[in-house]
Amino acid sequence: MNTAASLLAAEGGANPLLPHVYELVVGIFAFFVVFLVVGKILTPRIQKTLAERTDAIEGGIKRAEDAQAEAQVLLKQYRDQLAEARHEASRLREEAREQGAQIKAELREEAQAEARRIVEAAHAQIEADRQQAFAQLRTEIGRLSTDLATRIVGESLEDEARQRRTVDRFLDELESSSAQAVR
Amino acid sequence: MIALTLLADPDQFKAPTPDELFQLPPIIAGVDWFTKPVLLAILSSIIVLGFLWAAFSNPKIVPRGVQNVAEFGYMFVRDQVARPFLGKDADRFMGLLLSMFFVIWVWNMMGVVPVAQFPVASHIAFPIVLAVSVYVLKLYLGFKTQGVGGYFKNMMFPPGLPKFIYVLLAPIEFLSNMIIAPFTHAVRLFANMFAGHMLIAFFSMVGFWFLFEQLSPLGAPIGVLGVLMTIIMTGFELFIMFLQAFLFAMLAAMYIGNSLHPEH
Amino acid sequence: MSEEKRRPEDDGRDFANAAWSIPSYLLSGMVFYGGAGWLLDRWLDTSAFFPIGVVLGTVLAVYLVYRKHGR
Repeated sequence: MNTAASLLAAEGGANPLLPHVYELVVGIFAFFVVFLVVGKILTPRIQKTLAERTDAIEGGIKRAEDAQAEAQVLLKQYRDQLAEARHEASRLREEAREQGAQIKAELREEAQAEARRIVEAAHAQIEADRQQAFAQLRTEIGRLSTDLATRIVGESLEDEARQRRTVDRFLDELESSSAQAVR
Repeated sequence: MIALTLLADPDQFKAPTPDELFQLPPIIAGVDWFTKPVLLAILSSIIVLGFLWAAFSNPKIVPRGVQNVAEFGYMFVRDQVARPFLGKDADRFMGLLLSMFFVIWVWNMMGVVPVAQFPVASHIAFPIVLAVSVYVLKLYLGFKTQGVGGYFKNMMFPPGLPKFIYVLLAPIEFLSNMIIAPFTHAVRLFANMFAGHMLIAFFSMVGFWFLFEQLSPLGAPIGVLGVLMTIIMTGFELFIMFLQAFLFAMLAAMYIGNSLHPEH
Repeated sequence: MSEEKRRPEDDGRDFANAAWSIPSYLLSGMVFYGGAGWLLDRWLDTSAFFPIGVVLGTVLAVYLVYRKHGR
């Protein structure tokens, strides 16, 4: 067998607290290879990733907050606009009502004026007709009076009834002729 | 244990001796240095590197698969080991603490992996390598941040003690910080793994001897007990293996932290 | 993230520091003063100084831990 093993065996109970030199060397290599790769390459990578993840999560929260704030602003804007629109609508309605009332009043005024004008025109016509009728009547009455007088004189007054009939007839004639004249 | 082995004659149960368990012959005759612990140490480094490389060589913001698992380990080391003792310097030393934690854990786990069945850290050379690395780093950081004189002054003469008592306490401080602490740092890991391996080997030997080698009506119950104890002790050792890896990394972080921020 | 004073964390660190330095201090006290006693014993050919040294070292270590962490 080899010398080292036989030496160990010869020593009998080897002290477990005394390290073997080759194990120290192997241990140094075994650990430092891991340490170098993990410490120099892998740990920075995972730390970077963890930082990015934190960023992403915090960024997400930040973005959500921003979006919410923006939504709030928009909502307020919409509310303002809505209120403004309502206000505007009521103002327009009010205005329309006022305008309507005004138009109605104007129309009424106009209609009343028109009516007045028509009535006045009618009055004037009537007056004119009356004047005309009056004038006509005047000439007619004169003529009729002479006519009547001749008749009375020409015809003997036989009796009172006849006389009355004559008078009535005359009056009827007079009426109808005057009515015709008016028309 | 010695009394047991002295009593034993060839036909009787013989408990395993430390030499049998820990003085292992070279795997290839003639290559003295290439023993089982050496092979397992190299294998452990390959396992840790492979695992962490697969997880962190191309990390994703949304982790998947092996990255998820390794991140769990990373978070554990960062939040339980690095940050409590290093605060804002934690990230600088994560590489060291992470590799230390995983390497020790895998070294220890080799004790329960079938076929391997040998905790690498039960050979003191391996804990010594790590403890000395931490020790050197601790001194370097202490000298750098406090100056050589300042480092020893802060260590041996903490403020707020009566003057005359310094003479008595300074040697204790010096011995504790410069020798005992690094010594126990390495020995704690070594001794736990050493004792754990001895216990498991003893109980499995009991089971094997009384159930297979010398099966007898009287011996069989002892053999069953041995097998049961082997299982229980293996479960317990799994816990110890993790705990020791955690403690070793935690103490490393503590020593580094104390060098960076001397006692107030 | 990087304030100088963060109380819960500081407390935790102080506690762990104390917990893990106690065995180390006790051992150091015993080793140093026990060792000094043992040397004295060898020199003066006595046997009393070694146990006295161990006890003294333990007491001093406890006192040191108390003053450093026990407030």
